[in-house]
Amino acid sequence: MTVFKTFLKILKKNRGMVIFYTVLLLVFGGINMSANKPTTEFEATKPSVLIVNKDEEVGITKDFIKYIKENSETPEIADNEEARNDALFYSDVSYIVYIPENYHNDFMAGNAPELEIKRTGDYTSEYAEMLVKRYLSVASTYQKSIKSEAELIEKVNETLSKKVDAEITSKLDTTTLSKASFYYNFASYSILACLIYIICLVLSVFNSEKIRKRTVISSMSYKKHNKDLLLSNCVYAVTVWLLYVIASFVLVGDIMFTSHGAVYIINSFVFTMCATALAFLIGRIVSNKNAVNGIVNVVALGSSFLCGVFVPMEFMPQSVKAMAHVLPTYYYVKTNDAVAELEVFNIETLKPLIINMGVMLGFAILFVIIANIVASKKRKIG
Amino acid sequence: MFIHNFKYSLKTLFRNKMLIFWTFAFPIILGTLFNLAFSNIADTEKFDIIDIAIVNNDDLENNEAYKTVFKQLSDESSEDRMFNTKYVSEDEAKKLLENDDIVGYMKLEGETPKVTFVKSGTNQTIFKYVVEEIAQRSNMLSNIVEHEMKESVMPENINTEEILHKANELAQNNEIKLKNISNKNLDYMMIEFYTLIAMACLYGGILGMVAINQNLANMTNQGKRISISPMNKAKLLISSLLAGYVAQLVGLALLFVYTVFVLKVDYGNNVGLIILLSMVGSFTGLSMGVAVASLVKASDNAKSGILIGITMLGCFLAGMMGVSMKYVIDKNVPIINKLNPANMITDGFYSLYYYDTLDRYYFNVASLLIFAFILIAISFFSLRRQKYDSI
Repeated sequence: MTVFKTFLKILKKNRGMVIFYTVLLLVFGGINMSANKPTTEFEATKPSVLIVNKDEEVGITKDFIKYIKENSETPEIADNEEARNDALFYSDVSYIVYIPENYHNDFMAGNAPELEIKRTGDYTSEYAEMLVKRYLSVASTYQKSIKSEAELIEKVNETLSKKVDAEITSKLDTTTLSKASFYYNFASYSILACLIYIICLVLSVFNSEKIRKRTVISSMSYKKHNKDLLLSNCVYAVTVWLLYVIASFVLVGDIMFTSHGAVYIINSFVFTMCATALAFLIGRIVSNKNAVNGIVNVVALGSSFLCGVFVPMEFMPQSVKAMAHVLPTYYYVKTNDAVAELEVFNIETLKPLIINMGVMLGFAILFVIIANIVASKKRKIG
Repeated sequence: MFIHNFKYSLKTLFRNKMLIFWTFAFPIILGTLFNLAFSNIADTEKFDIIDIAIVNNDDLENNEAYKTVFKQLSDESSEDRMFNTKYVSEDEAKKLLENDDIVGYMKLEGETPKVTFVKSGTNQTIFKYVVEEIAQRSNMLSNIVEHEMKESVMPENINTEEILHKANELAQNNEIKLKNISNKNLDYMMIEFYTLIAMACLYGGILGMVAINQNLANMTNQGKRISISPMNKAKLLISSLLAGYVAQLVGLALLFVYTVFVLKVDYGNNVGLIILLSMVGSFTGLSMGVAVASLVKASDNAKSGILIGITMLGCFLAGMMGVSMKYVIDKNVPIINKLNPANMITDGFYSLYYYDTLDRYYFNVASLLIFAFILIAISFFSLRRQKYDSI
């Protein structure tokens, strides 16, 4: 109990850091959770397109604007060029069309002027350009044979209203699931940071020479002391894990009650065990209290960046992914990402996930073994 | 004395390992991580060739329009290639879809096409769009033919062949002219690296803080000795601060060399203005360090905790943990980022990189200087005539 009480004392003194990383998780997890209705029907991707119209809004110009607005999102952007440029840079808008003065008259006269555009380089802007070109090419084709503006607009709309049936086979609510994955992926960062920070601090306190000398000559046996220390660490780790799981029920919602949710929870538990072991190892190696903060940042940020916590793994270069294989977080994130796309639960589909968790447990055992070797070498007080 | 104090301040700063880690090594480590994680994002956002399948039933065989369009768009030698198309039976298509080998497949039933996907997405939308376009095109052709027939002066002499040919020609010869006037520097990941520089500038404040602490009687024994010495305090403070500033600039120079030559970060072409901005940014960091050192009565650790906290919050709002955060704040609550030194530095680099005009850049530099001078003025008044009843 003495050991546990000391543990709590140190924890209380340093609770700021734990609160900080928890708030970080809740804020980032929470931002991402904004309500989205589940989709089982096909929904066309809508690029965000801005139209800057210097023409009167009549005739073909009006209809063009109407068509683009129907098929895209129009973000609210202040009416000045700097705001538009900023929006383009930060991909708030992926395509801007500038309609020059007198465009609809020129168009009907058969000499449609060049349109100025601004675009980002990503594929939503590619698609936005397709939409713009589609309307203009249909309209200008009709324009060559139909001279009445009203009739032309009618025909253009008739043609563009021809749609194709699309069917979606997946019955999964993929948007919510990917959000749950994001939350749990991010949780790995907070778990690592909280555990390494506190456990390292505690170990460095217990390992400081004066306190160790006192412990060694006390009546408490070495075994009991060590067991209590390990147990306190585990209690703390499980508490952090439980806290994050409960938070996930609030933030993610219903999906946590399904078998998908169960896998997230089990996976995060295995990861927590692994992180505890890692924290224990680092605590054994590092005895300088001042270095703890730096190590926490390097280990937690490093493994989060390399293993696709902040940036989805699909966006990462192959070489980084290969490097990430040596980190336990990689297997944790891989499992979370796989769960989000899992349709059926059976031995066959769960097997790779179980292997991932096995790898994490393997890491945990490895860390504990190394920690013990290090500890036994450092046991003598010189 | 000025030089003596300067020299020893510099020596103590460089010998403080923790300090050097946070101000020199940490930004470089973070930059490396950014580079590893983000280097591929711009490439993956580019348009890729989409894997699709088409069910090769009799209806497809009889439909020239679909056959030729998909053949053209899947042509490997063509620059406009959009698809990698497999022609398979429906069962095979389903299997390919299940295995994630294709984004979707199309099946013709009579004249009507139908597309099937696993889930919605941009590639799916593009595939659907192309199929739609073929349907729309045939509708357009028949409309034109109909119209031309009506317009013909002598209905009895109609040559359907000729009209159809004409309609086809009309549909083909319409290059849509679009002129791209956007700036070429559109890599928003650069913002991450700019926030990194901002972080390094502001973290540098810790150096200034430590340098000041050495002169404060309530912080160090050395400070006690200095306080009772007959030395001019202003001279001492300024030489300590100068030492902090020099150490900061050394760290920043290292970071710049690393990001420019190893990570290939693009800061724009105006070297003079880049250096000016980073020097002003470091100066702001220094002023923050001075302000925290002189205004906050707390331990050394607590002081650096406060500085790190303020810096991280500032960088977070300036887009370090997600570039869109900067944009959201800039757009909705601009006042926050106008007062945020991390954002002033980030925005300054951004305006050098993205904008051709320099108004915004100078606005940021001026804001930083005003911010720094206000803090220094406040600290100056609090550091004057300090007396301690007991230490």
